[in-house]
Formats: sequence, structure tokens, C-alpha cells
Amino acid sequence: MSAPSLVIAVPSKGRLKEQAASLFEATGYTLRVKGHDRGYRGQLDGLPDVAVEYTSASEIVHQLRAGRVHLGITGEDLVRETVPDVDSRIEFLAPLGFGHADVVVAVPECWLDVSRMADLEDVAEQFARSHGRGLRVATKYMNLTRRFFAKKGVTGYRIVESVGATEATPATGTSELIVDITSTGTTLKANHLKVLEDGLILQSQAHLLAAKRASWDGRAKELKDTILSALSS
Amino acid sequence: MTAESAKEFEALEGQARALVALFGEAGYEFVAPAILQPAGVFLDQIGEQVRARSYVFTDLAGEELCLRPDLTVPVSRLYLERHPDAETEARYCYNGPAFRFQPLGPSAMHPREFRQAGVECFGASDKAAADVEVLLLAVEAVRSAGLRDYRICFGDIALFYALIDAADLPERWRLKLRHYFWRPPSFHVLVDQLAKGARIEPDRILTALGESIAGKSQQEAEDIVSAYLNAEGIPLAGNRTLREIAARLLDQAADLYADTLPKEVVTVIEYYLGVAASPREAVDKIAMIARGAGLDIDSALATVTARFDLLEQQGVDLSNATFATEFGRKLEYYSGLVFQIEVPGMDETEPVAGGGRYDNLLIALGAPRPVPAVGTAIHTERLLAAVGRASS
Repeated sequence: MSAPSLVIAVPSKGRLKEQAASLFEATGYTLRVKGHDRGYRGQLDGLPDVAVEYTSASEIVHQLRAGRVHLGITGEDLVRETVPDVDSRIEFLAPLGFGHADVVVAVPECWLDVSRMADLEDVAEQFARSHGRGLRVATKYMNLTRRFFAKKGVTGYRIVESVGATEATPATGTSELIVDITSTGTTLKANHLKVLEDGLILQSQAHLLAAKRASWDGRAKELKDTILSALSS
Repeated sequence: MTAESAKEFEALEGQARALVALFGEAGYEFVAPAILQPAGVFLDQIGEQVRARSYVFTDLAGEELCLRPDLTVPVSRLYLERHPDAETEARYCYNGPAFRFQPLGPSAMHPREFRQAGVECFGASDKAAADVEVLLLAVEAVRSAGLRDYRICFGDIALFYALIDAADLPERWRLKLRHYFWRPPSFHVLVDQLAKGARIEPDRILTALGESIAGKSQQEAEDIVSAYLNAEGIPLAGNRTLREIAARLLDQAADLYADTLPKEVVTVIEYYLGVAASPREAVDKIAMIARGAGLDIDSALATVTARFDLLEQQGVDLSNATFATEFGRKLEYYSGLVFQIEVPGMDETEPVAGGGRYDNLLIALGAPRPVPAVGTAIHTERLLAAVGRASS
């Protein structure tokens, strides 16, 4: 088989995989897994020179950044978190209308004196006086958090990396507040957390993305336009 | 700018040996603290901004470590290990690598791996004498390396604190002004806000509690908050106590009814922060500003003047030195004197030496009592480059 003209990376599991599959199905370019249905290669019906790579949502970001694939589907939150020089590396072609998640700053509901980002710096000052250290922010979004807190003038904190059950960390005492994704707010509410009024860092959803550093010959550009117009119509 | 050739390496090593010998003769014991440091110490005390500039990683046992971003904290930890009671006077010197991530990529003047040679003086109760001792050592060090053309820039954080203490302000505003001093952009927003009385619109909860909480005692406020949380079924979480939450609500409620920050105080702060001049001139200007507003900061000013007198008596030429009130606002652990030695033609963000007094750091690192501390570090690669440039 000859080399594909264009490679597109799509999520290999979970809701993102299913939703990407139904989106392609609706356009007529149905996604087919090659070989057995746990395989990591696939094809699009009607576009034989497009290769599909199934890979994890975060790996897709690295592949795009390096230009090892032409197109990819993944969440904006992961792209903005992982790629510092995003504008020179990745182009946001189209939002896809699924995978909605807001990245937000949330504090314990019992902090009646805190409703805005500006309160956090005051709280950090008070906290340092009585506890001898800064606030701890649990998150997996280290870079988004740093940039957002710097923009809001909040400095008296440190990040503790958290890869799962972030919303439970203020209750267990390993953090004071969190930065996490929420779609309906139910999980936050159940953990007695509230989102700060100006604490929305990013309204994320799944995007069709293009790698600026991939090799874009005529046929690859043609295929990009075909897929883009099919997915965004 | 690690020494990449044998010749550079030998030049750097030779310079460092001479510096350490000089420090040794002055009574500073050579120490070599660990390069790998527990990350938590740096992150808790120095904050996320330093983390963004530090190489932090988790080892196979799950411990969070960092490559030391400076040597002051590691040497302070070493002092506390040797003297847990923190009652002993001690003088240490060092020479070794430190590491900083450079967001714009490493360069000759902003290397990610660089060497510092320096001294730290702990527990000396005569602070003025220790300040001068360390400053003199820094000057002698760069001079002994062959640097002739340099300029000393001074600042003193204690002066600002004295000014705020002397002004007639509610304590909650003093605490705020002190804290925000280290965050220049937010500081100006804060002063503006307090001056205009532009109160942030109180939110729903404060409105609900506001009437009932304003003017109450701390205990009454805690009871009100506690009753509210119980009624709403909200548990305490996030390590802050009822006392802390109630105290801030009381402050916020007080702000709702407070007068604005007096115009005179705003003017004094603005004039003060604008002072940058030769040392003597700067002291005169600050004295004039304070007197004009009827604020007595004479004793803080006397400390600064006495320091300059001592330096001149010791033969330090202050004719091209500067004193800037803004200087040192980026390094929160400094508590008094701050200084750096700059070389004309090199950027001020690239000093060959820097240092200052940091009386609050050791208690933050776990000392059972405050430890007066002052130190200086020499950026040896920059010093070598500056000397080389002058002689070529």
C-alpha cells in the first residue's frame, strides 16, 4: 500500500472517540477500524488515501505539535495546557460541538468571604500569616493555572499536581482550592465547591486541529478542506 | 554559560577559589549544601513564580524534588540542620551550581545552569554591622576578581514598612499594603481602589451577612458564620478555619462603611515610590516627603544613613551609587537592605552580585525563633565575563 496523503489522529477511547465516530458517520465518511476492532489504525470511507491513527487525547496534542500527523481531534483544554507556542504550531480549524468542558477555579463553599479571584490574594496573605505557607491549588492544568493566576495578579499559591479526583482534595486537606473541568457543575456541588465569579479560565470543546509543521502538499491540503467542510457543515 | 572549554573551566575555577579563600579569611566556613532539594520548601515559601523557573520533578519513590534555583535557601536549611535551636551565630560561604529554567531559552547572560559563590551570615544581633560586613565582602570580592568599573544599587524594604506603620491606617489596610508591595501591578490597583473608595460590589452572601456582621466581635462573627454554614449544610473544608473566614468577613464588612484612604497617604506613597537618586540625596528626599506628611520614620532613616556612613568610612565609594525605593520589590523574602552590583554596559537584570537582609526566611523554614540573616551571592560567570570585557 502506498503512503497515505494525509494522517488524522482521533481519540482511541471514551466519549470523545464515540462522538468523533458519530460525527464522521453523519458526514458519510464513516470511520472504520482496520483489522480487529481494538486496532489502532483506521480509514475513512470514501477517502482511501487518508490514514486514521487512534491514540490518546493527550498524545494527539504532541503529535500535532511535532507535525507527525496533519489533522487531529481533541479538546482545546489539552492543547492550550500542553503547547506553550500554540500559535506557531497548531491551527484551530473548527469547534466540533461536543466534549464541552469549562476549566474553572473552584473554592470550598464554606469560604463565604471569597467570591472573586482578587479575594484569593488577600486570602493567601492571611493564610501565610496563620499557616506559614501559601495556598495549594490542586490541578492537572499547571500551565493554564499559572497563566490565569498571573493575569489576575494572584501570586501567593503553589500548584500540587493532581491527576484524579481533584475535586476531593480540599475536603481531604491536600489542597485549599482547585482548577478543574466541569460540564454541569454537579460534581463540584457534590463536593461543596463553588466556582469563582470571574474564575472561568477556558470554555473548552473538541476541535478539529491542523499541525502547522506537518508536510502540506497539494493533495493533503485538498483532503484537509474536504474533511473540514464535511465536519463543519 | 557553563564552562565549555578547559580554559574557561580553569578561569572560572581559579576565580571561585580566590573568592572562597577571601570569604574564608573573613571568617566564613565553606559549606556545600545539596544540589537536589525538597521541592516543597521552595514552593511553599517562594511560590509558584519560582516553580515556573525551577526544574521540579518526582523521583521513583514519589518524592517531589528540585534542582536548587538559588543557594540562600539550601544554606539556610543547612544552618537549621546544624543548629535546630537557631540560637547560634554562624557564617557560611559556598561556591556551586544553581539552575533556572529560562522561558526564552538559555543564553549566555541568562543561563539555565550557572554558578554562585557567596556568603550567608546568620544570627548576628548587630544587624547594621552585619549588613555592612556582607556588603563590604561583596565589593571586595568583585574588586579582587579585577572588576574596577561598577555601580552599587541599594534599596531598603524596611523604610516602606516604617512609612506604612507611621501612617494613620486601619491595621487590615497596613497588612494589605505590605503584602501587595511585592506585587507592583496589583499594588497600584489596590491603592487606587482604597483611595477612590471604589468598593467592590458586595456579593450575595456578604449582603446577607453584612448587616448582621458589621461591627461585631470576632467571636460573634464566628457564631454567625457557623450558624449560616450549619443552616445551609456546608461543611468546613480547604484548611481555613472558621476564625479566618469570619475575620475576613469582618474586614470586608468594615470596608463597606470605611472612609477612603486619605489623599495625603496616597500622595506620600506615590512620592516615596518615585525616589531614585544618589544615596544621600535619596535619604533627604524621603525625609522631606515623610516630614511633609507629618510621618515620623526617623529611626528607619537613621539606620540607612548610618549604613552609608559606615560604608564610606570603610572606603566604599558611593559617588556613583544609587538608592531606589522600588528596588528589591520582586524578592519577597528580603526584609531590609537589598543591593546589587551592576556593571555599566550590562543590563540591570544581569548584576554580577546581589544580596540583602532576609530576617523572615528562617522562621518560615521551620526555625523556632526569628533569625537575623543577611547574605550575598556572586554570579561568577557574569563576573568573569565583565572582567574579561573590561581588560580586552
